[in-house]
Amino acid sequence: MNGCKHIKERIDEADRPEVLPFEVAEHIGHCNDCEAFALERAALRELVAGHTRVSPPISFDAMLNARLAEVKARRSSWWLGSPGYLRLGAATAGLVVMIFAAQSAGLFSGTDSSNPAPDHLSTAAPLPPIRVAPEHPNPGPDIRDGSSVGTTRPQYLGSSNAPRPRRSAGLAGRATVAYMTAEDGGVVLVRGQKGDMDVQMPTVSVGAQPLLYVSAGQRSVRNAGGTSF
Amino acid sequence: MAAVTHQAQAIELGGSRAVEAASDHDLLAAIRDGDEVAFQEIVRRYRNPITNFVYRMLDDYDRSVELAQETFIRVYTSASRYQANYSFSTYIYRIATNLAISELRRRKRRKTVSLFSPFTNDDGEPVEIDPPDLNVLQDEALIATERRRAVARAITSLPQKYRAAIVLRDVEGLSYDEIAQTLKLSEGTVKSRINRARNLLKEKLTAYI
Repeated sequence: MNGCKHIKERIDEADRPEVLPFEVAEHIGHCNDCEAFALERAALRELVAGHTRVSPPISFDAMLNARLAEVKARRSSWWLGSPGYLRLGAATAGLVVMIFAAQSAGLFSGTDSSNPAPDHLSTAAPLPPIRVAPEHPNPGPDIRDGSSVGTTRPQYLGSSNAPRPRRSAGLAGRATVAYMTAEDGGVVLVRGQKGDMDVQMPTVSVGAQPLLYVSAGQRSVRNAGGTSF
Repeated sequence: MAAVTHQAQAIELGGSRAVEAASDHDLLAAIRDGDEVAFQEIVRRYRNPITNFVYRMLDDYDRSVELAQETFIRVYTSASRYQANYSFSTYIYRIATNLAISELRRRKRRKTVSLFSPFTNDDGEPVEIDPPDLNVLQDEALIATERRRAVARAITSLPQKYRAAIVLRDVEGLSYDEIAQTLKLSEGTVKSRINRARNLLKEKLTAYI
């Protein structure tokens, strides 16, 4: 019986029901049950395989090409075809990335070279000596000769190690202003012939680096103490 | 190395004779490079068997044509991801099988009840009521037509897992190994399913055997 089961499996697995292995053919020669099974399977397979095959319509290729062109067009214009909120989100994300990249590259932190100092700063007549406190509250040495400036080098806002006075080109000859420490909080002590005064120097932080507008402070000094820059 | 060879052969697919003589793998490599002629050749080779196979699965000609076209579109759009580890026929039959099975599942979700199969078996598959017609048919054409319809109904009424295996084997003539690769099953499982499907078909087609 086990032999018949094995033979039936071989009949079922045969690639062609009319061509059976020798072992199977020999068995079904003297086993009516297996022979009936082989005939039945052959008839069934012939019936299923002989079932009329269908063919695609004549317009199959044209329809396929049209659908394929549609798919290609959809893939190429996915941006236009996407929902509005997706487009808005992508545009916003792109803008944020651009701003972040520009900020990282330092485009917003440098001095504006295209905005030179006013002419009256560079053409001003020699002024009485002005002393600016390098560190607050210690007034520091007199810097008229410029010799002791480097002895008490303050930390500049927004800089790391290299001390670099942030001042306009018009004040280059004086070397008196713009020493300001972090403790000053934007207040500069100006010592003139008519006395000392604290001048609030407005700062604007753009790109995490303060900018010092000397011209604004100059107006305050002139109004308050009569000192002219 | 194989990719380089395929690419070199794809470049050589210039004339129509070269395209006709090219293997399926070479044509796929050419399609990857945007060769439309190679794609048309693939369509020419497989449109008949794929359409016929899907039709046997669904017994719906119009939908079969649509799904056959969808099969070729997927071949085209995913040509870059095709890996030549096994035969292309296995690959394209797998796509067609998945599409057909998805369609069958979609239809099943619609809860349609066929007049021929109002009941289901233990697997939840519809069981067709198709009593054998023992009357003698007198016209040969009518007999042939009726036989075709009976076979189509019998195949369609098979549970889905048996249907794909029996159609690939007895209608499309694939080997057990190819069917196993197409359906991602072991060869033993494929043999078992085909045997079970034939037993079910024998019961339904007794009058025609």
